[in-house]
Amino acid sequence: MLLLQLSTAGIAIGSVYALVAIGIVLIYKCSGVVNFAQGAFVMLGAYLTYGFTKLGVPAHGAVVCSMATMAVVGVLTERLVLRPLLKAPVVAIMAVTLGVLIFLRAICLIFWGPDRIAAPKLFPEGAVDIFGVFITYNYLAAFALSICLSLAFLAFYQFTSVGLMQRCTADNRQAALAIGIRTSSQTALAWSMSSALAALGGTLLATLNGLSLGLADIGLIAFPVIVLGGLTSLAGALVAGLLLGVLQAFSDGVLTPAFEDFLRAYTNIYSAGALQQVVPYILLVIVLLVRPQGIFGRRGTERL
Amino acid sequence: MMKIARNPLVVAALSAALAILLTLGLGRFGAYMVHAVAIASIGALSLNLLTGFCGQINFAQAALLGIGAYTAGVAGNAGWDILALPAAGAASLAASVLIGLPALRLKGLYFAIATLAAQFILDYLFKFAEPITHGVSGLVIEPMTLFGHPIQSDQGYAAIAIVVVAITWLTLSWIRRTDLGRAFLVVRENEVVAQGMGINVARTKMLAFLISGFFAGIAGGLMGFTARLAHPEAFGLSLSVDYVAMIIVGGLGSLPGSLLGAAFVTLLPEAIQRVGEAFNIADLLAAVREMSFGLLIIVFLIFEPRGLSALVMKLYGRVRLSRGPSERPQDSVPFETKLQPNEIK
Repeated sequence: MLLLQLSTAGIAIGSVYALVAIGIVLIYKCSGVVNFAQGAFVMLGAYLTYGFTKLGVPAHGAVVCSMATMAVVGVLTERLVLRPLLKAPVVAIMAVTLGVLIFLRAICLIFWGPDRIAAPKLFPEGAVDIFGVFITYNYLAAFALSICLSLAFLAFYQFTSVGLMQRCTADNRQAALAIGIRTSSQTALAWSMSSALAALGGTLLATLNGLSLGLADIGLIAFPVIVLGGLTSLAGALVAGLLLGVLQAFSDGVLTPAFEDFLRAYTNIYSAGALQQVVPYILLVIVLLVRPQGIFGRRGTERL
Repeated sequence: MMKIARNPLVVAALSAALAILLTLGLGRFGAYMVHAVAIASIGALSLNLLTGFCGQINFAQAALLGIGAYTAGVAGNAGWDILALPAAGAASLAASVLIGLPALRLKGLYFAIATLAAQFILDYLFKFAEPITHGVSGLVIEPMTLFGHPIQSDQGYAAIAIVVVAITWLTLSWIRRTDLGRAFLVVRENEVVAQGMGINVARTKMLAFLISGFFAGIAGGLMGFTARLAHPEAFGLSLSVDYVAMIIVGGLGSLPGSLLGAAFVTLLPEAIQRVGEAFNIADLLAAVREMSFGLLIIVFLIFEPRGLSALVMKLYGRVRLSRGPSERPQDSVPFETKLQPNEIK
């Protein structure tokens, strides 16, 4: 029963990871930028939702407002920060998104302070009882929303003409330009969708864990997710997100106690600390060493 | 100017003179600022060797510094005297080989994320390995001893740090002039070309990690001794980002740039602190510091990707030009900019 309970919590959190990771994959595919600032988008989105409710917007409206605002922030980031670095080396691009991360964190610190804030209530209190497993509405809603949105995204990418243009731009920029696709507006679209997803993901995480600057670090967990899923695979990001969520829940609920029992029996170390925070990274290192292209990624060819 | 600066004897003499001056002349706060900047410079030089010369990014620099600090702490407390510093270097060297191993197979983003993972895992180990590191309470470190004499004053640490900066500088500028140094640059520009030239890419990258790790460990050891405490919180991801910022703001692949960047990033918070105290807005300080930091990284990368060192050289060149036609302005272009350090692939 404990295992089921843990899995449901893990799946709920994992689906939000997937949502955030899909955003990163989207940007990477369309503009080749690895966006370390995604964590900051997650955090800023959550704070904006809170900010809008403070301004008197009803909670659900605030989520929409926050997503819209973040879409603008995403486009602005692309235009102002990454466009001038179009031909810059990878190191510079990674570093500049780190700069954006630090900058946005500071903005949140100035406006909302370092303390944890109670997130606005989006869903009713209480829990449903499914075969003896209690799932709070928060978790249920986070899961349902994230999964629906992720799937909707995959469908959008696969079946609509705009999605086709997005895929085309991601696949070969020059060819896309040649057949008359405005690649710059496709890139802008990818950034705005990605940061809107991040805003929603952040808001959902805030309803589960509370609103704090730590949300930016949770955004970093999206990186093991995308590496596990393969950098360019949206479906891979979805599966890997769920997998990591469950893994984290299990290492929190099962592995840590077992490990601590072991430690107390054989060593004089008393606590295993925050094991669930490093487990994704340990898994990441293993996967990178064994299968660098990720579980679902394809090995790319290298051009000179 | 650059030619003189590259002469080892001049550098050695200058640093020795500076070190002596410091021990006599500087006040406590001045000495503190000097050793803070000097130690940061060693760390920045070490990261610049890896990222600026060889093109391998490393987000685990803070963890390497941490390993240096813990090792130096443990060795120093056990009475290893000055040997605690090389021991710290060796420990970080070993760790950076482990971190660098994935670099032999991974590239670009994947490798960056692998170093990110290493940072988080080592961060966890600092908290976890309580028998050695004393967990979250931190390892208390006795003052460093130099041939039996414990060093108590900030001036003393400032002098030592300056000497170590000089040694690091000389070693790196020597390495850059060897075949290995040129191999670093080729690997940075294009691994396939490097292979075609008969360079063993894996070995070259590994050596970059080795050397960089060694100096990072020594910087970390000095950090531990000056702070008298090795604490896991002090070696988190944000410190790694600080170091990446230093070499970007200073200038990727530029030795003087590493020093300028280290000074800038270390002194900026102090300056902001002063301004904040003057205007009585102490609460905003941390946020303003972070914000200016993020902005600096963005602005430098967009407008002056070769960093402060290039900026300084431009100004210097302008001054020389205005003096008369006998001066040759291209002399003022530093060695580094001819190699186009910003074009890391």
